[in-house]
Amino acid sequence: MTARAAPILPLLLALTAAPAWADENKDLELIPESVRAPTERPAADEPTRDLRQRIYLENALTLDSFRTTVVAPPPPTGPDWQERLFLDGRKEWLLGAGATLGLSDRFNLQAEDRENFPTRQTVRNEFREGFVSWQTLPGDYLDAGRINLKNGVAAGFNPTDFFKTRAVVEPLSADPAILREDRLGTVMVTGQHIGEGGSALVAFAPALYSPSRVYTATTLPSLNPMFDRTNAHDRFLLKGGATIVGDLSPELLVYHEGNRTEFGANLAESVGKSTILYAEWAGGRRTSLIADALRYGVDTGTIPGNVPNVLPLDPRRHFQNDLSAGGSYTTESKVVFNVEYQFHQAGFSLRDWHNWFATGTSGLSTPPVRAALWFIRGYAAEQQEPTTTHAAFFRADWVDAFVPHLELTAFASVDLQDGSTLTQATADYALSDTWSIGALVAATFGRGRSAQGSLPQSATAILKIARYY
Amino acid sequence: MTRTASALALAALMLFAVAASAAAQSAQEIIAASDKVRNPGKPFRVTNTLTEYVSGSARNSSTLVVYAKVDAASGQFRDLVRYIEPARDAGKMALLDGTVLWFYDPASKASVRISPQQRLIGQASIGDVLTVNLAQDYTGTLIGAESIQDSQRQAHDCWHLDMKAANEHATYNRVEYWIEKGTYYPIKGKFYSDSGRLLKILYYRAFVERLGGIRPTEAIIIDAVDSALVTKLVFGDYQFQEIPETWFQRDYLPRLRIE
Repeated sequence: MTARAAPILPLLLALTAAPAWADENKDLELIPESVRAPTERPAADEPTRDLRQRIYLENALTLDSFRTTVVAPPPPTGPDWQERLFLDGRKEWLLGAGATLGLSDRFNLQAEDRENFPTRQTVRNEFREGFVSWQTLPGDYLDAGRINLKNGVAAGFNPTDFFKTRAVVEPLSADPAILREDRLGTVMVTGQHIGEGGSALVAFAPALYSPSRVYTATTLPSLNPMFDRTNAHDRFLLKGGATIVGDLSPELLVYHEGNRTEFGANLAESVGKSTILYAEWAGGRRTSLIADALRYGVDTGTIPGNVPNVLPLDPRRHFQNDLSAGGSYTTESKVVFNVEYQFHQAGFSLRDWHNWFATGTSGLSTPPVRAALWFIRGYAAEQQEPTTTHAAFFRADWVDAFVPHLELTAFASVDLQDGSTLTQATADYALSDTWSIGALVAATFGRGRSAQGSLPQSATAILKIARYY
Repeated sequence: MTRTASALALAALMLFAVAASAAAQSAQEIIAASDKVRNPGKPFRVTNTLTEYVSGSARNSSTLVVYAKVDAASGQFRDLVRYIEPARDAGKMALLDGTVLWFYDPASKASVRISPQQRLIGQASIGDVLTVNLAQDYTGTLIGAESIQDSQRQAHDCWHLDMKAANEHATYNRVEYWIEKGTYYPIKGKFYSDSGRLLKILYYRAFVERLGGIRPTEAIIIDAVDSALVTKLVFGDYQFQEIPETWFQRDYLPRLRIE
């Protein structure tokens, strides 16, 4: 640069900067007139009111289609259509002295084909939670009542979520995220300490009832809180979590129920800006799903005592593992992808599936035998465990898809042993602060002799509208 | 010397004056001073009321309560966000502590770990507009001095700064920022993604005395991806609040109550 040119440089800079300033002020044209005036301050500074509640009324119309032929005919299938209106509420009250009372409930009115109204099955209440929480000391909490205690970090299958068994009643969606929202709590007492570096929790749920039969849509009670589903055994849980290094904070769990003890661990870690990796494991000595189910069926009288051995099984207890490992990735366009591998060692192996179909299609297969076969699968569903040993779970969630407040969600649960798949897609749109509409379609795919392809239900569609209060 | 030449010379002198002023005060010091305008020196609580406008019409609104406390180790704010409204989201909570981000939904009673990118989804993404300490997470460069208009078209003499993410805690890859000279009031910000995409344009306004200082009590956020979408953010019910360290454990999220 010459000495003559040097003084000119700032002038050039000044000249070139001027249009940029003008462009900056062009951003103001994006602000609508209605937003130009600041809010009146007294209104903005009013004390915040937290109602501590979520109450909504939802109407859901469900249409189901069924396969005309299935390789192992199931017991009578569900309705072709169902109209469900329900009031769902969750509320919390401050009782003073560090205590709160929480209630959570859903009251359903249903109409469906082949069913009169009202009946026991069409007027149903689901008492999910009712408990008192008390802060005894700073960081120490005591909770007692019916509590939905959730554990785990995985998106699809939560091996360490020990209190999930038999807790879900007539779900409207197969999405694991939704299944967690509408499930019964367990009557228990918990003590929790939350410190600066971690937390510890101990829970005890007493046996209040004997194990009961697995419910079907036609045997669900109307107003009974169904404590038999959640409190059929003494159950203990000990859980601890601590930050070890950086932001690495795993949880360790020990769970005991009846004559079975399980150990668990879970961990979720952020990797880079867009990725979360997680792993969740539980293991303990138990029998296989088939042995568990048949024993439970006979004990509760669901399966006649003369047809328990419908499938070859190993009655011995072994150390069996459950694992979910996967991750999520978030794109700049607000789509969150989940991929997860699921391992359920006690579930059906390929050999078990082969035996199940061989027995179900055998000429010697009688209705009680087929009922026992389907009972095993119903038992697995009620336990909220995968039926199969190896599965993969894919989920995509797009917030503000195409337009603000439209959320699109799709997931696929793939049986890695036979390739059969359960898929579901939902669209939820918030019409306003109080109204939402949504639609759901789900379908099962696979060969006739596959986990999903053998199910009687081939597709489901749901239309729903909700009003929040 | 012609009149045009005189004007150019005057502009040059002004530019030199700005450069001299900037030399006296580094970009980082200017950003830190502006951070103090938004944030009191002690833990506090503030209620954010968001009203979303689509093509000029108010459409959705939400209310979040943000508990904010500086982490002594990093110098950055850690936030706890509780959703009050709309009714469908009431009771949801988020823990925003550096890269440790958890989202809790009382419906499922599940805490889900979310990534920094996922933090940008939903209303919680702007829950920390007020509290982030930019000087901690960004390295600033002073571009120059500019007269810029605020959201009510009032002109302010500002420093124009270009900030680049300095660590993994930074929510955005790049931020352009305009800070008023003398007062250090933040006037405008532009926030960019990793790919360089402009995500948000933000204007602060309604500077009034709160918690011992003059602070912005409103922000206008323009969605740069969908410019028909504008959000008005009102900060109210400011309170100093004792926030124990235990509150920043994920297991505390179900316990957080607004007293």
